[in-house]
Amino acid sequence: MNSFSLGRYVPYNSFVHRLDPRDKILGSILLMVCVFLPISGWAMTFTMAGILFLLSAILLWCTHSSIRDILSSLRSLWMMIVFLLIIYVLMPHANPTLGVAWNWNGWTVYWDSFAEAGKIMLRLLMMVELTMILTASTKPLDLTYAFEWYLTPLKLLHFPAHEVAMTISIALRFIPTLLDDTNRVMKAQESRGVDFTHGRIWKRLMALTSLIIPLFVSAFMRSEELANAMECRGYNPKAKRTRFRLLHWHWYDYLSLVIVAAVFAFSLYVTITHFDLYAFFWGLTVL
Amino acid sequence: MAIVFKDVFYIYNRKTPLETEALNGISFSIAKGSFTALVGRTGCGKSTLIQHINALLNPAQGEVDIDGWINAAEKKKRSKKVKDLRRHVGLVFQFPEYQLFEETVEKDVAFAPKNFGMSDEDALKAAHAALLSVGLNESFFKRSPFELSGGEKRKVAIAGILAFHPDILVVDEPTAGLDPLGAKAMMELFKSIHDAGTTVVLVTHDMNIVLAYCDSVVVLDNGKIVSITDPVSLFSQDIEKYSLETPLIYQLVKDLEQRGAHLDLTKIKDLASLADQLVALKGKVS
Repeated sequence: MNSFSLGRYVPYNSFVHRLDPRDKILGSILLMVCVFLPISGWAMTFTMAGILFLLSAILLWCTHSSIRDILSSLRSLWMMIVFLLIIYVLMPHANPTLGVAWNWNGWTVYWDSFAEAGKIMLRLLMMVELTMILTASTKPLDLTYAFEWYLTPLKLLHFPAHEVAMTISIALRFIPTLLDDTNRVMKAQESRGVDFTHGRIWKRLMALTSLIIPLFVSAFMRSEELANAMECRGYNPKAKRTRFRLLHWHWYDYLSLVIVAAVFAFSLYVTITHFDLYAFFWGLTVL
Repeated sequence: MAIVFKDVFYIYNRKTPLETEALNGISFSIAKGSFTALVGRTGCGKSTLIQHINALLNPAQGEVDIDGWINAAEKKKRSKKVKDLRRHVGLVFQFPEYQLFEETVEKDVAFAPKNFGMSDEDALKAAHAALLSVGLNESFFKRSPFELSGGEKRKVAIAGILAFHPDILVVDEPTAGLDPLGAKAMMELFKSIHDAGTTVVLVTHDMNIVLAYCDSVVVLDNGKIVSITDPVSLFSQDIEKYSLETPLIYQLVKDLEQRGAHLDLTKIKDLASLADQLVALKGKVS
């Protein structure tokens, strides 16, 4: 059940928690773009990845969520690493620079394949970390407010910004509820002798239906009840509404955004100009 | 002793800011063949406690012995085959109607017996017997559980547990949301199951039920046991501090006593036994 805690809001009062949700969304998007920028040369690729990893690890530490928890909940990803590695090893590499790992009767495998798989894993890990930072430190409702704020300009094009934000906020609101439901139904079925973790694959699939069907039933029931409740209170999506909690930009929001923007700009500069830190400062020739 | 709790602790959301202690050093035992009520205010740890009986939760500290099956904090001490325990202990959750999923009622009831190793045929037979025992006749067997009313669904779900004849039956508020007659029929069913030799543990907020059916009561408050007695001596105490309500019959008898009637409190459980006592009393007077 532990993996379900991934992505849940954790109520601490860190400086990341206090940041404006709009700032956090923009910042995370910028950092995510950085993660996926194609940088030439292995040394620079891993240097930049290291910088980003360090940054996200520090932020993660600030939100009080531990990297070990993430790693343990990503245990299932190990299968993927192995799979990726196999694919990269089997595929011929375009222009290897790291040398030959082994050569068996013409089947040449370069170290680049391993580096490539490592890069992808690092990217995935950082993606998870960055989303974690966002969701662990921001209340779902604040997130939706921020989304709505970003969508407001689209209102000019008759885009239903409020309705979309409402849908998102309802979806987010019901994630913990559905998880609780899952937990409850799982326990009920386990008392009826279902084993979700052991046994043959066919048995486990059967076990899964005994979980999924009640979940769908309760989800539909909940949505109907919610719709009725909203209707009873005269909910009108087109109505103009005021808000109790308003979002404010503070100086630390600007500061954090400036830092993130600087990192982003540097990454972009490195990508575009093929800037090599090692050659520039120390005159080293690296791969 | 069927169930023995030895200094059991349980903590939800361990090592997070949402950490809450649900069980706080629980030690007690439930005798074989007893009809035990588990009472206390909402959130006092009743549901957490009963999940330990079925090893759905493992204690953070201490151990639970269920007829020799050990549910301990340490994995090494814990018994291995959890299926054996779950065949032994039938746990009916609160609002069990949400666990239905099969196409027909009989298939859903036969689901648990099949999981516990019965053949399809035997499971279906057991399902039919269980359905009849909860008061659903043949016309329900082939219907979809989703088209039934709430009360009927509840009965189907309970039949799904009864079908594999557990030696210990744990029920969490089976009468919540049922109409009075339906609730009475449900309790009569549990009484007959108990009379057939099953140990029954009942979680409830209805003290009338406790007085009428149970032979011992465990009162929980704030994750701790505050009292283990029989219903009559429990109601003679001040129970409002545990958010419990004195049963109507008990209050009536107390009021009668205050007006000079000498009734045997320990023998009065429901209207019928009160009537018997009154007749006996009248015989003495005249």
